[in-house]
Amino acid sequence: MRKMPRICIVEVLVIFALVCAVPLAASAQQTNYPKVKEYRIERSIAPEAVACIECHRATTPGLFADWAKSRHANANVSCLDCHLIQPGDTDIAKGHDQYYGRSDMPYGEGKYKVPIASIVTPKDCSRCHPDEVTQYSRSKHANTIEIMWKLDPWLNKGMNSDNERKTGCFSCHGTVIKIDENGTIDPNTWPNAGVGRINADGSKGACTSCHTRHRFSVAEARMPEACDQCHLGPDHPQIEIYEESKHGTMYHAYKSEYNFNAAGGTWTAGVDYRAPTCAACHMSGSGKVLTSHDVTERLSWETQAPLTVRPEDFKPFPAKSDWQTERNKMKAVCQQCHGDSWINDFYDGFDKAVMEYNDVYFKPVKAKLDELYEKGLLDKTTFFDEHLELQFYEIWHHEGRRARMGAMMMAPDYAWWHGFYEVKNRFNAFMEEANHLLKTGEKAYRWEPYPNATGNTKRPVEVFPE
Amino acid sequence: MKEGGTESKGKKPALVRAIKPIVLILIGILIAFPLFSIGYYTMVRTSTPDFCASCHEIKPAVRAWRESTHVNNAVGVMVDCMDCHLPAPQDTFDFFFAKTYHGIKDVAIHFFVGEYDREKARRSAYASFDNDQCQKCHRNLLNMPNSRGAMLAHRATIYARQGYEKKCVDCHYDLVHNDKIAVMYRQYRKLPYQAKGLRVEKPGI
Repeated sequence: MRKMPRICIVEVLVIFALVCAVPLAASAQQTNYPKVKEYRIERSIAPEAVACIECHRATTPGLFADWAKSRHANANVSCLDCHLIQPGDTDIAKGHDQYYGRSDMPYGEGKYKVPIASIVTPKDCSRCHPDEVTQYSRSKHANTIEIMWKLDPWLNKGMNSDNERKTGCFSCHGTVIKIDENGTIDPNTWPNAGVGRINADGSKGACTSCHTRHRFSVAEARMPEACDQCHLGPDHPQIEIYEESKHGTMYHAYKSEYNFNAAGGTWTAGVDYRAPTCAACHMSGSGKVLTSHDVTERLSWETQAPLTVRPEDFKPFPAKSDWQTERNKMKAVCQQCHGDSWINDFYDGFDKAVMEYNDVYFKPVKAKLDELYEKGLLDKTTFFDEHLELQFYEIWHHEGRRARMGAMMMAPDYAWWHGFYEVKNRFNAFMEEANHLLKTGEKAYRWEPYPNATGNTKRPVEVFPE
Repeated sequence: MKEGGTESKGKKPALVRAIKPIVLILIGILIAFPLFSIGYYTMVRTSTPDFCASCHEIKPAVRAWRESTHVNNAVGVMVDCMDCHLPAPQDTFDFFFAKTYHGIKDVAIHFFVGEYDREKARRSAYASFDNDQCQKCHRNLLNMPNSRGAMLAHRATIYARQGYEKKCVDCHYDLVHNDKIAVMYRQYRKLPYQAKGLRVEKPGI
């Protein structure tokens, strides 16, 4: 009897403790939420740069945290090192000045005010990485706007709209950035991280195409995922081709073992990675071949061109190199894992595929198209608005590329079913229709009015000075 | 006998024999000293920014230089035209040659061509600069704890890979001869200094 109250007290205490513990547990759970990335200013840094960091960690915490995890943060390279520009430069983001007058913001004081550019360009990157920028600037990546305007009927004939271009073509190829006198970027040209973007300072391209903001990671650019944002789809399915190839298969099976963070110049085939990624063959140093940011350097055929030619014969942008030297470079890359007979016999198959595409399929189709134009059965003023023009376009731009690229990167399904099989069918359909017109003298039907053919046909003066 | 005879016949005291060379040397010195002095004085007189500015074509460049950090800095160092634009005076031959050549060329162009394109001159100056010119003064370039990026870029210049040789002025340009609205003191520079990045010469390059 005497013990009862004591038990009651214990029970009450236990219950009380439990009741208290519930909110305590809840608050303990709170601490399991991800913490905000810390950043203590421990190393010397300009006061203006401290202001950038302190303000942006509050206003754009994701951007800040991304940078804080980067190699740049590791080396004490801060916002200002890339974004600072000099008074009088053409690309000053004047709108940014207003934030230095906002007392509700940390460091929102006039004394921290510096002119900054929103868009960081390869020229800015060249302050620290000059050789990489030099290599990049001679690549087809950097010069893709020039190439595009020298070749493409969508642009030159104005067959699509400006917004179709902005959201489609220019997302990968790049826009010509325009900034007005108030420092506002023309929304028709921005946002954009296209590989051939023409920047306000005259430089070409965007390093952030492959090394995305604000991590600027070498590891990322070594992964095929960096390339697949553009190199996919019916017209140049490099990523699908890669994934079908043995290289891609092995990459997916073993990527967890890959050491993507190896220091520049040390990434080694068979040691840091098992099968190569896009970058491993096209850009990275391998054996005695040195790394290059000119991604198109090691090519020996232009498999994307209508008629396959050697890179130095590619009229819109002739390579300064010689294909035989570059092929030997690529072979030296292959040799890290493959024997000579394997490499030579592979190239034999690739060269044959290219020659067959050129001679058996493309040249006859091109000759027939020219004949139709000559006889006035097809209209020359516009493109894509007659069925045969579209057929011609797709035979080289779609399945013709799939066949050649599929053969190059050893993806049988793309070389044959998505490639030569389709080329063959298109060839037959094209010839049937063309011969019918030639036999009857009937003019091809024109799709009129052609929808949304409103795009500007003026070549950008920034690329083609008058 | 004959030999001995000639010897004894022509033998004169050493002092007498030395008179002729000594006189010749003295005459040489008398002629050469004023010539050297005039040459040296001319070189000194024609090596000042003021002398350079005596040509109206060069005046704007000298004016801009006076406002630049090559003149105005906390350590009191002044970097003259010559320091950047001519080989170091200790490379005597190169120095005299370059100086004389440019002097004659500039005068000839002034009188016979007349036209002076500052932008063209700027480009040709950039092309003629040698990194050694800058590195006479700017020597400690590889260790910059506050500027890791500059460390990278300087390594890529000083130990350039073959085919990637660069000039200091490829990234550091428009520093001295850009027209400013006020005198630029290095110690009062508001914005942290940074190189401009590889120069883009014309659109599309």
